[in-house]
Amino acid sequence: MPAHPAVRLDHVGKQYDRTGAFAVRDLELDITPGEFFSLLGPSGCGKTTLLRMIGGFVDPTEGSVLLDGEDVTGLPPNKRNVNTVFQSYALFDHLSLADNVAFGLKRKGVARAEIRERVGAMLDLVQLGHLADRKPATLSGGQRQRVALARALVNRPQVLLLDEPLAALDLALRRRMQVELKQIQREIGITFVFVTHDQDEALTMSDRVAVMNQGRIEQCGTPEDVYERPTSTFTASFMGTSNLVPGTYRAGAVHLDEGPALPVGPRAGLADGTRVNLSIRPEKIWLSDFEPDMAQTTGTVRETVYSGPTTTYLIDLAPGITVSVLEQNTVRSRREDRWSGGEQVDLAWKPEHCLVLD
Amino acid sequence: MTGKTAPARRTPARRRAATRRPRFAIAVTVLFFALLYLPVGVVVLFSFNARKSLTVFDGASLRWYRAFFRDDLLLDSLGMSLQVSFVAMAGSLLLGVALALGLVRNRGRLGSLAGLVMLVPLITPEIVTGVAAMLLFKGTGIPLSTTTVMLAEITFSISYVTVILRSRIAALNPETEEAAMDLGATRRQALRLVTLPALLPSILASAVLIFALVFDDFVLAYFTTGVDPQPLSVRIYSAIRFGVQPTINAVGTLMLAGSIALIALALAIPRLFGRRGGLDLLSGE
Repeated sequence: MPAHPAVRLDHVGKQYDRTGAFAVRDLELDITPGEFFSLLGPSGCGKTTLLRMIGGFVDPTEGSVLLDGEDVTGLPPNKRNVNTVFQSYALFDHLSLADNVAFGLKRKGVARAEIRERVGAMLDLVQLGHLADRKPATLSGGQRQRVALARALVNRPQVLLLDEPLAALDLALRRRMQVELKQIQREIGITFVFVTHDQDEALTMSDRVAVMNQGRIEQCGTPEDVYERPTSTFTASFMGTSNLVPGTYRAGAVHLDEGPALPVGPRAGLADGTRVNLSIRPEKIWLSDFEPDMAQTTGTVRETVYSGPTTTYLIDLAPGITVSVLEQNTVRSRREDRWSGGEQVDLAWKPEHCLVLD
Repeated sequence: MTGKTAPARRTPARRRAATRRPRFAIAVTVLFFALLYLPVGVVVLFSFNARKSLTVFDGASLRWYRAFFRDDLLLDSLGMSLQVSFVAMAGSLLLGVALALGLVRNRGRLGSLAGLVMLVPLITPEIVTGVAAMLLFKGTGIPLSTTTVMLAEITFSISYVTVILRSRIAALNPETEEAAMDLGATRRQALRLVTLPALLPSILASAVLIFALVFDDFVLAYFTTGVDPQPLSVRIYSAIRFGVQPTINAVGTLMLAGSIALIALALAIPRLFGRRGGLDLLSGE
């Protein structure tokens, strides 16, 4: 276990002079060497500002940034051993791919033979070796993205910062690049700090995810932690679709204002009469084959949305309270088996799958 | 009449009418170009005249070109004009590019004020600029000479360079310079290795434009030049006052050829850099 985290953010904050608003506020974070760490949040949550603080493009107005135990607060980007893959890729259009990738090594004064060797190896790693003499303008979006990656990685940074690098790609290409990025990261073992607003992307690729909101970290943990066990209403709603049902907690159930009580099991540390949000994922609600330990209620099917492998049912539990339920189409495989609207149905869930959030 | 039969009956006549050449528009266009270029054409034609007449063309010859190349006064003026154009081009590029970079990056109150003040020379009547420059030099006791012409022309040309470069710089991706610094470049290296190469087509285009503007500038040159040598435009003007010599036609034709070559160069620059589409000289895009 190395003595220092790859990145330590020690109570950092960024306040803008003009408005006095905080982009990042009193934030603490340790990133372990070699991990794929994602900063996830909606636009304006401060995730890019945080990344730019690590890269040296934004100076925090409070707190300090440490890289491998060394305080780098206030150092310019060219004095930090981190590299960035920019959202726009920011390739140098007047230089060939090889010269783009060689840029950082030349600045460091690496010997020419070594530069050629490392650039060649890196271009091969991103599968662009055959295009080394081309100019960036002749490349596709996915290829440009890979050049940006190679240009940063060739410098062997302690930490690679990625600012929504896949946002400009179409869906199919994005999926492929997600897998590729993750593979490359595993191969070379460099710490990746990855900024994204796409929760799928964060869940697929990361070892750990920090969910950010309004300049703070709402929750930080493994993808499974933040998806399965969100600790706040914000995280629950931001991480994929979740049903959030407002009500009052009393004796092991969430009582809707108008409607039934939904059993959630006893919750330690939650006083009766507390206003809460019951959170449950659409795929965790069952519509048939109930098991004995499940909690049950009934509802009315409002709408059915068929989407290939799955069907989503929108089910009214009470006036104004609709939950969505996702079912694999193996359960009701024929069209006439599925509900179309208006039917009374039974719903059930395991109490441990519900979260009761303040 | 019903709507159904009407189109069928009208079609042949209508179609012919629609495809007929718009005679009036063509006539106006021809007239426009005639008025624009006929006088220039006359100058070119009579520069090859074998006789001294400015009204009767009597056989082709290169007599007036030979006369020009034997005229030391005119040759000195040509040399001076080239020198002034070159220095003004270099000087205004240096200052204009720096000013444009500063204006784009300083968006504060001072920056926007400087951006407005920078535009003033473009709308000030040139004669005002010329008289003002002359009064400044006289008032500060600087004798009028080639140097004063250069200074005046540089001052006058900065705005053009800045206007062209400013829009170009604003269109650059700010992340490119950050990427250079991220890869270990200092601020100055980032400017030299990344930003300036990206601006090179616009810089070259403004260089050509400034060279052409300064070379045939008369007003500013007239007010700020010393007696000997005089810029070519001023020399031609003085020569004409004592009766038009056909030599002037030859000089004019040579200047015209030079200008055309420069403009062609300016238009070709973006293509040399592999950009599609032409380059708008004024916007630099």
